[in-house]
Amino acid sequence: MINILQIELYKLFSSYRTYISFAITILLMLIVDLGLYSDGEEIFSFLLQPLNDNFYVEGNIVNGYLIAYLALNTLWVHIPVLIIIVTTHIFSGEFEYGTIRILLTQPISRSSLLTAKIISMIIYTICFMVIVAVFALIPSVIFFGTSDVIIFIDGIQFIQEETFLPRFFYATVFAILAMIAFSSMAMYFALWFRNTLTAILLSLGLLILFTLIQTFVLGIFSAWQPFLFTYHIAKWQLFFVDEIPFKTILNSALFLFTMSAFFIGLSFWKFNKMNISE
Amino acid sequence: MQILKVEDLTLQYGEQIILDQVSFSIKKGQIIGLLGPNGAGKSSIIKILAGLVFPKKGRLYFKSKLQNSFSDLRQYCGYLIDSPSFYPYLTAKQNLNLIKKINKSELNIDDLLFKVGLFDLNKKKVKHFSTGMKQRLAIAQALLRSPEILILDEPFNGLDPNGFQDVLNLLKKLNKDGITIIISSHLLNELEQFAETFILLHNGKIALEICKETLINSKKRVAFTFENKPSSKANEYITKIDGIFTSDFKTVIHLKPNEIAEVVNTLVSMKSTPINVETLTILQEQYLEITA
Repeated sequence: MINILQIELYKLFSSYRTYISFAITILLMLIVDLGLYSDGEEIFSFLLQPLNDNFYVEGNIVNGYLIAYLALNTLWVHIPVLIIIVTTHIFSGEFEYGTIRILLTQPISRSSLLTAKIISMIIYTICFMVIVAVFALIPSVIFFGTSDVIIFIDGIQFIQEETFLPRFFYATVFAILAMIAFSSMAMYFALWFRNTLTAILLSLGLLILFTLIQTFVLGIFSAWQPFLFTYHIAKWQLFFVDEIPFKTILNSALFLFTMSAFFIGLSFWKFNKMNISE
Repeated sequence: MQILKVEDLTLQYGEQIILDQVSFSIKKGQIIGLLGPNGAGKSSIIKILAGLVFPKKGRLYFKSKLQNSFSDLRQYCGYLIDSPSFYPYLTAKQNLNLIKKINKSELNIDDLLFKVGLFDLNKKKVKHFSTGMKQRLAIAQALLRSPEILILDEPFNGLDPNGFQDVLNLLKKLNKDGITIIISSHLLNELEQFAETFILLHNGKIALEICKETLINSKKRVAFTFENKPSSKANEYITKIDGIFTSDFKTVIHLKPNEIAEVVNTLVSMKSTPINVETLTILQEQYLEITA
């Protein structure tokens, strides 16, 4: 099992795709920094105009912590897209290259192979999110310094400077769980269709559709929200609410964990009875 | 000594029967050729033996011991399934190292690459390999477990004459070293050159199973073509030896190999010299009948 995992990791980290996704993420984070470095003051003074009319705001509003938080907003679409481009390929790439025939003719069980692939997927997702967190935080702190943070979630939230880092850490851990859940779903599609592009399109289609449904807070869609994975993925934001609603976050974490377990279970069932006839 | 025995192998996709109660056995050190047109079921047998496809029913014996499933055979076999596939972004050596690690093999990769004639290319990425090179690399991959049986599905596909000869020589050498070989192909003439037993499949059933010795000594279908209508004496002679005229200028007679020269001489002496003599083995005849 350890052997197979080592092989899977070797393949994953030998592929240029893996590093392209890392490079794009780093670039994305730096672009956010650069954009806010040039126009940040102007944008925020415009956004905070109503606040400035009534309050005297002291300190550095456009600071590294705020920018790190804003960079995490790429979790809505950008990061899921980049992650599943690689994670789906871990599975469907074997079918596309035809190497699945070589792997399955070795004296190893299908379950061991799939387990190794799932662990690789999780390791990749963790690496990716660590890169996101590091490059969202460190350059912005270097360029903009630190201060208290003003965030708009259910009204204005004032986050004290000293509480920001633990909140950011927890949000990142939650985001890892969310991205593993999303990747697990994409992995199942990759196994089902044996094609990377189809799996990515279907996963992204669902992400966009559910995000759209989620935006309709009232009306017929409101009752569906607790059943949408996008609704739960978005809960990382709650770590930046003044009083963190741990119960709500835990419920969402449980949903995402169950979603991962469901799709991983489904993948084992599918893979173990799959005929490789082509 | 019998190394492999397959009994009652049946494969079905929905209502479609792919293999219908196929049974055969193989002796150690044999080369067995699975023949048949596309869709006959030969690749399905190979894929079942490789654990890629699950049959509806069937039993497998390895060295007379009943195996739990067809997948159990993988530990004793090396496989080349369809067109060889590797990770294109890795070199030949890196690809083989991955497989070596899975198998915890002690074999030296360089020796293996040397054996299949790819030693000089071991640092070249597989995406730059020709079909023949990939085919040889696939054979190297199949040898990594020091298998007792080599199972090859269409190993000559896409090979040029030189590549074909290289692979053929390599397989002959491996067989000489004691490896049993099961090979599927639709290239009958090529397979006849080196297989020892032939299984002809048609519509998921065994249409003919014959060993090389029987094949060599059995009657052949000999087609004689004449420039002019044969003389009445020759006509009489042809009818007497059960010849059938397919046209005024062509006759087909089933003859043992040692009888062919005698018949030709007789026809020449009767002033009916054939301008063309075409022979088909019983295997070729049945194959043509099936594919017609």
